Amino acid sequence: MYKGKERKGSSSEWRDAFWNPRTHELLGRTASSWGLILLFYLVFYLFLAGMFVLTMYIMLLTLDDYKPTWQDRLATPGMMIHPKGDQLEITFSVSETESWDRFTQTLNTFLSPYNDSYQVQMNDNCPPDQFFIQEDSGEVRNNPKRSCQFNRSMLEECAGISDRFYGYSRGQPCVLIKLNRVIGMLPGKNGQSPYVTCGAKREDGDKLGPLAYYPPNGTFNLMYYPYYGKKAQVNYTQPLVAVKFLNASVNTDINVECKINSNTLEAGSERDKFAGRVSFKLRINHT
Amino acid sequence: MNLAICLLLQDDHEITIEELETRYNTSVTKGLTSTFASQVLERDGPNELKPPKGTPEYVKFARQLAGGLQCLMWVAAVICFILPVFMVTSAFSLQLYLAITLISVVVVTGCFGYYQEFKSTNIIASFKNLVPQQAIVIRDGQKNQINAHQLVVGDLVEIKGGDRVPADIRIISGQACKVDNSSLTGESEPQSKTPECTHENPLETKNIAFFSTTCLEGVATGVIINTGDRTIIGRIASLASGVGNEKTPIAIEIEHFVDIIAGLAIFFGFTFFVVAMFIGYAFLEAMIFFMAIVVAYVPEGLLATVTVCLSLTAKRLARKNCVVKNLEAVETLGSTSVICSDKTGTLTQNRMTVAHLWFDNHVHAADTTEDQSGQSFDQSSETWRSLARVASLCNRATFRPDQEGVPIPKRLVVGDASETALLKFTELTVGNIMDYRNRFKKVVEVPFNSTNKFQLSIHELEDPLDLRYLLVMKGAPERILERCSTILIKGQELPLDEQWSEAFQTAYMDLGGLGERVLGFCHIYLNEKEFPRGYAFDPDEMNFTTSGLCFAGLISMIDPPRATVPDAVMKCRTAGIRVVMVTGDHPITARAIAANVGIISEGSETVEDIAQRKRIPVEQVNKRDARACVISGGQLKDMSSEELDDALRNHPEMVFARTSPQQKLIIVESCQRLGSIVAVTGDGVNDSPALKKADIGVAMGIAGSDAAKNAADMILLDDNFASIVTGVEQGRLIFDNLKKSIAYTLTKNIPELTPYLIYITVSVPLPLGCITILFIELATDIFPSVSLAYEKAESDIMHLKPRNPRQHRLVNEALAVYSYFQIGAIQSFAGFTDYFTAMAQEGWYPLLCVGLRSQWENVHLQDVQDSYGQEWTFSQRLYQEYTCYTVFFVSIEICQISDVLIRKTRRLSVFQQGFFRSVKTHPKHASLGIMYLNSQSYSITIYRVNSVSVSFQWWFVPVPYGILIFVYDEIRKLGVRRYPGSWWDQELYY
Repeated sequence: MYKGKERKGSSSEWRDAFWNPRTHELLGRTASSWGLILLFYLVFYLFLAGMFVLTMYIMLLTLDDYKPTWQDRLATPGMMIHPKGDQLEITFSVSETESWDRFTQTLNTFLSPYNDSYQVQMNDNCPPDQFFIQEDSGEVRNNPKRSCQFNRSMLEECAGISDRFYGYSRGQPCVLIKLNRVIGMLPGKNGQSPYVTCGAKREDGDKLGPLAYYPPNGTFNLMYYPYYGKKAQVNYTQPLVAVKFLNASVNTDINVECKINSNTLEAGSERDKFAGRVSFKLRINHT
Repeated sequence: MNLAICLLLQDDHEITIEELETRYNTSVTKGLTSTFASQVLERDGPNELKPPKGTPEYVKFARQLAGGLQCLMWVAAVICFILPVFMVTSAFSLQLYLAITLISVVVVTGCFGYYQEFKSTNIIASFKNLVPQQAIVIRDGQKNQINAHQLVVGDLVEIKGGDRVPADIRIISGQACKVDNSSLTGESEPQSKTPECTHENPLETKNIAFFSTTCLEGVATGVIINTGDRTIIGRIASLASGVGNEKTPIAIEIEHFVDIIAGLAIFFGFTFFVVAMFIGYAFLEAMIFFMAIVVAYVPEGLLATVTVCLSLTAKRLARKNCVVKNLEAVETLGSTSVICSDKTGTLTQNRMTVAHLWFDNHVHAADTTEDQSGQSFDQSSETWRSLARVASLCNRATFRPDQEGVPIPKRLVVGDASETALLKFTELTVGNIMDYRNRFKKVVEVPFNSTNKFQLSIHELEDPLDLRYLLVMKGAPERILERCSTILIKGQELPLDEQWSEAFQTAYMDLGGLGERVLGFCHIYLNEKEFPRGYAFDPDEMNFTTSGLCFAGLISMIDPPRATVPDAVMKCRTAGIRVVMVTGDHPITARAIAANVGIISEGSETVEDIAQRKRIPVEQVNKRDARACVISGGQLKDMSSEELDDALRNHPEMVFARTSPQQKLIIVESCQRLGSIVAVTGDGVNDSPALKKADIGVAMGIAGSDAAKNAADMILLDDNFASIVTGVEQGRLIFDNLKKSIAYTLTKNIPELTPYLIYITVSVPLPLGCITILFIELATDIFPSVSLAYEKAESDIMHLKPRNPRQHRLVNEALAVYSYFQIGAIQSFAGFTDYFTAMAQEGWYPLLCVGLRSQWENVHLQDVQDSYGQEWTFSQRLYQEYTCYTVFFVSIEICQISDVLIRKTRRLSVFQQGFFRSVKTHPKHASLGIMYLNSQSYSITIYRVNSVSVSFQWWFVPVPYGILIFVYDEIRKLGVRRYPGSWWDQELYY
């Protein structure tokens, strides 16, 4: 009767299954048997790995170095603010220097490549309000591609030049907004540049107060587009828009949403809160 | 519990009538008083068999939820519930989904199994005879007809031919009462019941008639000594519930398989736990990885696949008249190595039929086939005409009226078995017997009785001018011969001398040796002078000539084997299955039928045969020389279990005759001790313990009793042994096909697991999400894996030996290793190739992906740079991740198409098996359609399956790997076919 007995395996059976001293079997195989099977798997996996490497290599050959094959996931570029903490909150007390010190420092660091001197040295002064198109002529790459200057001074009040503290010390903070880079994106047409508008969300409308945009109207000038990728356009300078909250209510949370207005970009989907818009919380404490 | 002891305690059959009257407070003339009867009824309860204590429905259902695989899934579900406790992140709902899905899979498949059981139980219930039985009882000196379940001990009842015996009865008086005990003991011969106690064993004595047996003829009066569950049959029925149910082979296989899976899961989980700790993950995080891997390893789809495959086969079997009560029984039948078969009704047609005739000094064979398609004998002889006349006239059996449309062998007849056989035989050969009898008007008849052992009747002749009377007589051949002085040869009356006597003896012995019941026939024309018209024949005095008769011939009858049985037995033999006959019938009859159907093959000898041939005593014969062996119940009683095991081991062809229910159980146990998987057929209540003990009990749908059907795992609707063979074939096929299905289902476990492993170790964005895995397991892959259940057998499975349950496992090491580490590995590579392609084409080069995980999954980073310097928001990255899921999913599916093609065969080339023959009918197309729908119907799947529509060319990336799988497997099969027994065969044949 085979029933039942099968599962009764005594401890000696278990030991035998692991190492059988009579047959010199480790886990049911002799040394030579193990050798053979391991050799088989070695060859098998080497072959598979070879095939994998080969297919990967062929796949990489088909890729264009300058432009990804597909960009369908990036139809609406994302937006981001600076400075930012973990939670996209800008909370500080006007009177406590330490509370906004880190914001100004981040901004300093962030804006250092935008210094006028640096920009003038590296980049071109392009004709505004038109795309800065640098086509390749057939197979001959027109590389490296030049980039347009975005001078820090264009941010005026928020450049951190006239006001070292970007307005934080006076309760009029500056927030920088950037649009994510997407290769080949043309964010406007007919010479109309996309521009940023900010507003308060829902009931916070009256708390927001007047805003100032730099450059004027909060535009991302067309001359900064299209982007040709980090390989072709090494010195690309991402345009920025600064928003200054001139008279925001103090001691209260204000939910701000900024969004891009363009006549070519699709509105972002409901699911992506950062496509074509960005929301953050502003709180200025003042005693 | 010992039946024999129970029975010995009872002496109701041995005591005198007077003692009986006092014991039960009754009277053999007036019966019980009504008031006392109602008191006893109050005390003992109604006279009916309590239905076997059925398992409560909820227990049945719970059982469906507690199999090996189910337990594995429960554990996984519990882990899924526990995991979120440790996890702070948002994956909570995902784990919950997983847990709920796992549980619903278990519950849905459980419902499936339960429904199957429920359905077959209903089929059984439909057989139940709902008409309440009536009985004639004498109470207060009055004859009443009452409902049989109101009878009590001490009641005086009357039974007559055609009645079912309403309880165990001690016979007080009887006239030619004969009872069919076949449902109790399996004997097909009617047993006569008389008031005398003839044996101390109540089962053997003639003065007790048992509950549920049928009175065939005659009348009897008796006192009820047992009612309800205290009757012999009730005790046997309760014996069945004392026999434990055994685990089915497939359940053992699945347990073994679960061991493998669980072992591998823990091995993988632990390995990567260590790896994760080594890489520098926190302990808790590594623990989560560990549990997630264990869960990912559970083959969610397998349970559904196995259940569906078994149900499909059960359905197919039902069309072939095998109703399966328990799904797992399907496979058990396939691994059967011994069938213990009943004789009556299963191997034979369960109707006496004229098999041979002896006249004109020749044995003529009659047609015994069920549909009268066989050869008939020469009917031109004058002797035949006389014999046929005797057989037609000296017969009291009549057809029931209104059966003109029914074929003669199927018509219902009033009369005992041999008279029925003769009536049908003469109706077939002579034609219109009723009319024929009317032409020879019956004047007087003497019915058969056990002292005379003959039956005679006297008829007027057909020709009105011939005023002679014709006396016809039939009976035990030796008694008939005594009364004959002449014998009819070719129409001539010749004196019955020594020579003819010897010829008669030889014929009689020959026919008797065939296990047939032989009757002799003779006649005489009575002298016109001595017995003129109007002569007052007195049947008691027998005032007429009863000797010096003219012998006409012998007719022998047997319950012939079913036409399909010899073939089926032959098939069993080639399939390596022993057929053992276990019957309550006489050894000679049993042996004759066994030889007839091939259970004892031609040329096989028993020990006794050898002894006779060599003219040596039985003791000197080497038992190993005898292939065949006939053991009677009496001999069996004196054998120890070792001796029985020895007998079963030494003699491949076994017949057990005159066995009791208890002994049937002993035989089954002995077979099981020898390592066989035993199927037992049976119909009587007496068989139910054996049916239950057997690995698979097969009950008869038509003749079977409810108790037998309850105890059985399978029911043959047509009572035909050949159906069992069909069942065996299907069972073996499903074992092979389940193997293929499981191999197919297991393969994708690896490409489902590796993404997670790579995710942990190399920190790439997750290539395959868990909802997508569930979608593969429970939606797209079910159809192809079920389609494998329809696969035709690769070789003639009925020419192989039954599988050895210890060696041929459902899931063996080779299968798991080949599926996991070879095909599964190829599939993983296919998935990663496609994954990296999709990532690279969207801007994320493979090398950038490595180590990207923490940035990629950071919800607060909205500007992660890809290889081209583009910036991605979190949602855009997530969307890309879903693309990867889909791409990986597509790769697995493409490879699985290839996989299902290679799994069609294990040894043969797919081209040999017929590539497209079955593809057309397979539901595989459906799965392709689902896959396509899935990846294209953006809006539905984005939320549900986390997958998105993908570019068309990503479908083609894994194709080379699909082709590789196909080619590699063809090479494997070629090696296995070319070099059987080689290293290649051993390592790679599963």
